[in-house]
Amino acid sequence: MRIKTLNVRSAFKARFSRWMAARVKRKEKVTLNRRIIYILPTRSGLMFVFAASLVFVAAINYAVSLAFGLAFLMISIFVLAILHGFNNLNQLKLRGLSSPAVFCEDQAAFKIELSRFSGRNHEALELSFPDSHATYVDLIKNDQEPVEVFIKTNERGCFKAPLLRITTHFPLGLCRAWSVVDLDLQCIVYPKPVNFSMADLSGGSASEEESAFVVSGSEDYYGLRDYVPGDSLRQVAWKNVARGQGMQLKQFVDYVDSEVWLDWDRFYGSAEEKLSRICFCTVKLAKGGSPFGLKLPGLEIAPGVGPEHRAKLLRALALFDKADVGES
Amino acid sequence: MDLSYQIPRSALIWILLSVAVVLVPQSVRMPAWISVVAAVCIVWRVLIFRGKLSYPSRWMRILIVLFTLAVSIPQMRSVGIGLDSAAALLALGFVFKLIEMKQKRDIYIVISLCFVMTMVAFLYSQSIVATLYSLGAILVILGAMIALNRSINISDNWGTSKMAGKILLQAMPLAVVLFYVFPRIAPLWAVPIQSSGASTGVSNEMSPGDISSLGRSGDLAFRVQFENSEAPAHELLYWRGLVLTDFDGETWRRERSRSSFSIASARADKQLQWEGRMSRGGAAFDYNIILEATQQSWVYGLHLAEAIDDELFQSRNFELFNNGLVTQRLSYNLRSYLQSKTDFVLVDRVRRQNLELPSGGNSQSREFARQLRSSVTSNRDYVMAVLSHFSQNEYFYTLNPALLGNNRIDDFLFETREGFCEHYSSTFAYLMRAAGIPARVVIGYQGAELNPFENYMMVYQYNAHAWNEVWLEDEGWVRFDPTGAVSPDRVRLGVEAALRDDPAFLERSLFSSSGLGSINWINSLRLRMDALEYEWNRRVVNYDEDVQFELFEKIFGQVTEQKILFLLFGLASVVVIVVAFTVIRFEPKSKRGPVLSVYNKMSKDLEKIGLGRMKGEGPIAYRDRVVAARPDLRGIMMQITRLYVEISYQRRQVEESEIISQAKQIKRYGRQLKKALLKTSLST
Repeated sequence: MRIKTLNVRSAFKARFSRWMAARVKRKEKVTLNRRIIYILPTRSGLMFVFAASLVFVAAINYAVSLAFGLAFLMISIFVLAILHGFNNLNQLKLRGLSSPAVFCEDQAAFKIELSRFSGRNHEALELSFPDSHATYVDLIKNDQEPVEVFIKTNERGCFKAPLLRITTHFPLGLCRAWSVVDLDLQCIVYPKPVNFSMADLSGGSASEEESAFVVSGSEDYYGLRDYVPGDSLRQVAWKNVARGQGMQLKQFVDYVDSEVWLDWDRFYGSAEEKLSRICFCTVKLAKGGSPFGLKLPGLEIAPGVGPEHRAKLLRALALFDKADVGES
Repeated sequence: MDLSYQIPRSALIWILLSVAVVLVPQSVRMPAWISVVAAVCIVWRVLIFRGKLSYPSRWMRILIVLFTLAVSIPQMRSVGIGLDSAAALLALGFVFKLIEMKQKRDIYIVISLCFVMTMVAFLYSQSIVATLYSLGAILVILGAMIALNRSINISDNWGTSKMAGKILLQAMPLAVVLFYVFPRIAPLWAVPIQSSGASTGVSNEMSPGDISSLGRSGDLAFRVQFENSEAPAHELLYWRGLVLTDFDGETWRRERSRSSFSIASARADKQLQWEGRMSRGGAAFDYNIILEATQQSWVYGLHLAEAIDDELFQSRNFELFNNGLVTQRLSYNLRSYLQSKTDFVLVDRVRRQNLELPSGGNSQSREFARQLRSSVTSNRDYVMAVLSHFSQNEYFYTLNPALLGNNRIDDFLFETREGFCEHYSSTFAYLMRAAGIPARVVIGYQGAELNPFENYMMVYQYNAHAWNEVWLEDEGWVRFDPTGAVSPDRVRLGVEAALRDDPAFLERSLFSSSGLGSINWINSLRLRMDALEYEWNRRVVNYDEDVQFELFEKIFGQVTEQKILFLLFGLASVVVIVVAFTVIRFEPKSKRGPVLSVYNKMSKDLEKIGLGRMKGEGPIAYRDRVVAARPDLRGIMMQITRLYVEISYQRRQVEESEIISQAKQIKRYGRQLKKALLKTSLST
């Protein structure tokens, strides 16, 4: 029975949130107004109304005029709680800011800027994503207040924040006024780093030619390969042409022991596991300071150093094979 | 539920303060140990907050429940399951909840109980002072609620109280509208409030000293307003209370067989066809009385009062009874015919009852009565002779008479010769009965003080009085006041005048018509304050379903449910809307409003002919594109775009009038554009 009611309840909740999601427009900047502010009594509010009706019944029974007055005053206070609760959210401005990338399974911190029309207070605001801890903020002293609202990530990629809920019980706690907005918040979620021994990369039994450390270059002669239309004619081994061996190209390579390539093929595990391990290595190598590059199927990033390079790589890992790659 | 919830410090202070404020008026009526328990609980709560004590364990809570039962059951046994014990129990549960309150929900239980306790206070008193106090208490409770819902790091108590005051003020209009318009319901089942409060005023028996002790009290007994007529002269203002017929030599009592003042007995009395025993005479006086709580069941009225519309009952002796004890101020309307006469024929049983005297004692008085009666011809002459005996001999009217011995009538009549009204009426009735004339004692009040500010009269406890009714052939029961024979001022001018030099008079009250009240401005202030309280009673406290119905009748003529509902919802919604405007701040409309809307409409109109504004296209570029495609629209486009650019991108402050004129201009151009477009669409 209990399970059944829970089911009904969760079904209702799901239905409600679907309805809500259809209603909410995705906008980077939102000013709360009566169209998107909802108010319902809280449990405490219902208790208060119950107390008011108790007073009312006592007033009837004992025929005490001022007890009637008290009951009506309580009802009136309840109405005022609704109005003040609405006023506390009304005309509050929210703006989504760009949010830093996080590793998967960490808390994504979405940055939001709250601002107000001058001379208007917004108190005890509670911002939260579904099933996450709320962030509390007051808009009393400053006209603008940046806040971070957290939600746990569980998938790499470009994470679009769910609907943001902004709630207040202020001033009397009898009603909850809330609004649901979509500030088009997103952040990049890197794969979750998984421990991986770097020795597997640098060492290994593979010959030098096959190693991941070989880069095509221009210094050392490496070998010949068949000419492919479009190749530079300067590298054609004309002597061999003269010998009648056909068009062949001289190949040159650079042997750079200090450069590291993170090669997709050299990692084991499923695609996601590979990405997680590459991610771990990326973070580790970025700390070291020597240049390193990345090879993914269909993507190659030349070795480099510095935080920008690191971000570029991690971003590539995050968005690898994700259809909805959005430029943000 | 968040188990780590910690009540903010400032909120806790507010909550404890509101609990204390709500309990203070109760503590006067409750047993002292409850106040002690309350104080202990409040201190305990503070110590829990400080981390010096923990929340009560499960065993502790069970102990507390057992303790409460153990103390409240005997108390209920002794006091009865009345209002007092219920209020005490409520208060007890309320303070115990305080020490185990952890979560927000617990706090809201405490807060809701605070409101209920405020209601309990109204059951005891609805005076202006009590009301103002309760409003103050509600202010503190609201403060507690606000402090509870503010952020933890804010402890701005002044801001909290300001907000609470604001909410209370904003809540008042709707509360007042509901108070007057919301349909009142008569009690579903009658619950007379049983309170152990001491009864005040005249009691149901008269022993020597009873009434003179009231003479020391300056408390108000009731207020009277005469409706259509002038008030009768002061000497006619005899407010009848009870009729006492049984005398045991010391105390006069109401007839024993009818000592229960239930509705049933009063109804039975009424069935004795009192209508036929009475003939009305003289002008009718209509008046309203607001009686202070007496904890007694009888009420007061002038000679032969009839209840006009209230649920009062008349006994066979034409006393008036309320249904249940008067535990609150009671307002009722009466009509009196001062010349009315009753009981031309006296039933034997009643005659015997009104002649009965203790068998022995007071032989001197009996002898005196016999001699005096034989010296005159009629009973009426005898009455006059006794009265003139009092007035012509040295009898004194005083609050501090000498003590009387066993034969108290003899002692008074021949020895001490000084007394208060109870001595005179008691002796007078004795002398009548001794001479074979049916006589009885009536207790009530005599006289009143006029409040000139609201034109009503105030009757105080010191106006308490006792007089007699004597049955005479062909006249029925006739009122005689032996005190008036001794001290004519008492009846004509009032007790204040008669006892001006008596040090015992009003010794218990400083602030009344004698004492400090003799200073002019203080007296005037006292009368004004009383007038305020009187108005408060008439307009607020006594506003019940009957008064409301009368009010509705005055407004509508015919009262129907639809009309009442219409009035209720109409007024309430108007008030809520007006109040909402004080609560909710609306932002001023953008000055660009009209210009912007015309511009947007224009681009939509142009879209129909394939000239919509592209995303990110600037207004100037857009204008040029449109003009290039449609040279005929050049003039209008130039103007509209100019206005749009002007109002959208200008940096300087613009006068209100300028904005209005711009709005007008752009609207005109908008219409021109529409016309031009229409023309082209027709021609193509």
